Amino acid sequence: MGETKGIPRVLLNKIGLFLVLAILLLAYLLMSSSESPVHYSWMIPVFPLVSFALILLFGLQDSEKGGSIALFGVSFSSVFSLAIAYDLFVNGTARGSYIESTRVWFSGSTYSFEFGTYIDSLAGLLLLVVGIVSYLVVLFSISYMDDQGNRRVRYFAEISLFIAAMYGLVVANSFLLMFIFWELMGVCSYLLIGFWYEKPSAASAAKKAFLVTRVGDVFLLLGLVIMYNTFGTLRYSELFADPQILMDNLEEVKWATLCLFGGSVGKSAQFPLHVWLPDAMEGPTTVSALIHAATMVKAGVFLVARAFPLIVHSPDTAIYIAFTGGLTALVAASMAMVMNDIKRVLAYSTISQLGYMFLALGAGAWAYWHSVDSGLDPGYSLGYMAGLFHLMNHAFFKALLFLGSGAVIHAVHTQDMREMGGLRKEMPITSITMGLGVLSIAGVPFFSGFWSKDEILVAVNNNAEYEGIFGALWFMALLTAGMTAFYMTRMWMMTFSGPSDRIVTSVISSSGHSETGNWVVEDKKVESHAHEAPLVMTLPLMVLSVLAVFSGLTLVIGGGFSSHVYYGDPYEAHGMIQWSVIDHILSSSLTYLSVTVGLTGIFFGIIFYKRGPDGNSAFSTDFIRDVWIFKITHTFLSKRLYMSDLFNWFGMRTWDTFAQISDWFDRNIIDGIVNKIASLSLDFSNNARNLTTGFTGHYASLTVGGLGALVLLTRIVMPIMGWSI
Amino acid sequence: MIDPVHFIVFSSLLLLIGAYGVIRNENSIVVLMSVEIMLTAANVNFVAFSTYYHDLTGQIVALFITTIAAAEVAIGLAILLSLFKQRDTIELDLLNRLRW
Repeated sequence: MGETKGIPRVLLNKIGLFLVLAILLLAYLLMSSSESPVHYSWMIPVFPLVSFALILLFGLQDSEKGGSIALFGVSFSSVFSLAIAYDLFVNGTARGSYIESTRVWFSGSTYSFEFGTYIDSLAGLLLLVVGIVSYLVVLFSISYMDDQGNRRVRYFAEISLFIAAMYGLVVANSFLLMFIFWELMGVCSYLLIGFWYEKPSAASAAKKAFLVTRVGDVFLLLGLVIMYNTFGTLRYSELFADPQILMDNLEEVKWATLCLFGGSVGKSAQFPLHVWLPDAMEGPTTVSALIHAATMVKAGVFLVARAFPLIVHSPDTAIYIAFTGGLTALVAASMAMVMNDIKRVLAYSTISQLGYMFLALGAGAWAYWHSVDSGLDPGYSLGYMAGLFHLMNHAFFKALLFLGSGAVIHAVHTQDMREMGGLRKEMPITSITMGLGVLSIAGVPFFSGFWSKDEILVAVNNNAEYEGIFGALWFMALLTAGMTAFYMTRMWMMTFSGPSDRIVTSVISSSGHSETGNWVVEDKKVESHAHEAPLVMTLPLMVLSVLAVFSGLTLVIGGGFSSHVYYGDPYEAHGMIQWSVIDHILSSSLTYLSVTVGLTGIFFGIIFYKRGPDGNSAFSTDFIRDVWIFKITHTFLSKRLYMSDLFNWFGMRTWDTFAQISDWFDRNIIDGIVNKIASLSLDFSNNARNLTTGFTGHYASLTVGGLGALVLLTRIVMPIMGWSI
Repeated sequence: MIDPVHFIVFSSLLLLIGAYGVIRNENSIVVLMSVEIMLTAANVNFVAFSTYYHDLTGQIVALFITTIAAAEVAIGLAILLSLFKQRDTIELDLLNRLRW
């Protein structure tokens, strides 16, 4: 503990100093103008942007500096974000409304674009999440990246820009401005995923992430064009102001929202554009934590939540969103069950949990539309609240799990869970904090994941009686809950349980099967030299584990989550603790069903994967090898549903064929013409030079012959043919 | 009466004889002489038409040509001398190095 190899002692003092400075600046601003901190929201993205510029300017002089400059910017924006979140959720500023500030950006004779900030409860929630997670991730990075030398400069510059883009996206006041930050984030994710660009897999993962999300971005841009052409504005406040205009253009709203969701599918890695996210694990683990918990993938959910007032007018979009979310949740969870790379398990878990959020948002939008459509009072949208509630909880426990896995990888220098095990004794803090994260995501009662997952299931189930597909989606979500509990338990057990030195012989945890179809059994001696991570790394873990355990209680403590972040009517809070919510949850049979499913998953995870004293699981999993149906399923899932292979095959069949035809055309037609001209001249010259014999008589003959030919031509041929010169 | 046609036929015959000499002979000196015959053919034409048109210009040109031919022969013979010094021959068929 307190081992600070590679970290200057000064830096540890700076951590506190920066926070104090940030609080002082905030206090000074608030005192001098006595306005709400919301008015300083434009500063939030500016701080990391400035530190990005400063790192580029001064970072190379001293590679130690990069981290502290990044921490400086992130400290300030985190303090400001949390102040705004506090103001919104505790003081109740802008409750049920928004605060907007704009400046004219550029204008023409018939249009003008304003940029500015738009702060409502949704933005406040994202600021809270990003503020906490980004600060902790940067703090963690300083230690995690300490062996990277001068590369840290690039890392911290890029991560500052990344965080600035996310903040900008959250506080932006129009879809256009949001789209700019959205793209900026795409570039940063490309840079960060390809951080170790000399590794071919990292370089190709970066390209894949960029290109796949680009597919979604094209749809997003198309959605913006449709909206601007229909409504003549892209500002939130103008778009959402008059529902009647939206109602009059239902067809446009439908296509615009579908296209917007296309952007989310790319950014949030939903089926079928999910293929980039597992590959994005090639980047540093801290980047993965940031991408998965606070930025990037959450931007897609944010977009759908932001466009919620539009989506409630389009039931088709709502059902499509819910269906995509439900399908992605199930498919990704099934793949997470067979992955052996600890980060890939978490990656698929993220995709699955994002699917949950989209499922909830889609179900909420559909329910709201249905109530309005049948003339009922829609009340407040449970799905909207549940989706965003899960977004917050997921941010905390997924950041915790990723940073924990980062600490593990930092200690054992491998990402393969088969080579881990027994780390519980060497890394007690990491194992306990990650264990709390696992319990949260698995939905164990009273941990945070339990509350939000339960709300999502209820929101989906409420729709089932009106629309049959939601019944199927509810069943898929329930199944996903069990699978989530299973693979998370599996991950923890494979990483932390059992003795640290052992020989790995388990078949099911080996690398699949060889070309001939026989299973490969690996015998590998694993020796552990792991040790607990330094305080700079464990501190964020501890903070996050507290949040991961207790963030779910915000549903019932205080005004309650749903009385602040809502769509439609706010939930009416009564007293400090919402006993009615607790009562409702505890008395519902759905709750017991989902808890039972989750605990079943944990049970199977433990009996299959808890490592015994010999390092292998107590209960043999050989049946997967022996029963053909399990074997086929396992292979299918291990190969990631052959989705990447399918894309590659499709690419080979279309673009590659086209490229080959072009190549042939270039080589044979274009080059052929040029080469033929050259070879004809060459042949002609080769033949013509034979005239130069060196014999005077030949030359004289040619001269006289030529003269004779001329005379014949001009005196005989031309008069006969009637030509004249 | 001698018509210009007679002169033209005569000079044409001279020209052809000269050309034949240039083409067929291997001896450089004979070739040089054949070239002189061809120049004479041109001179005959000049003088003939000068008389026919009563214009002395043609005869003056003929004098010039004769002068130039003399100079040319001098140069040609000098070339042949130095060639013989270098190569020990003035046979044209043996002097065919300048070729492809």
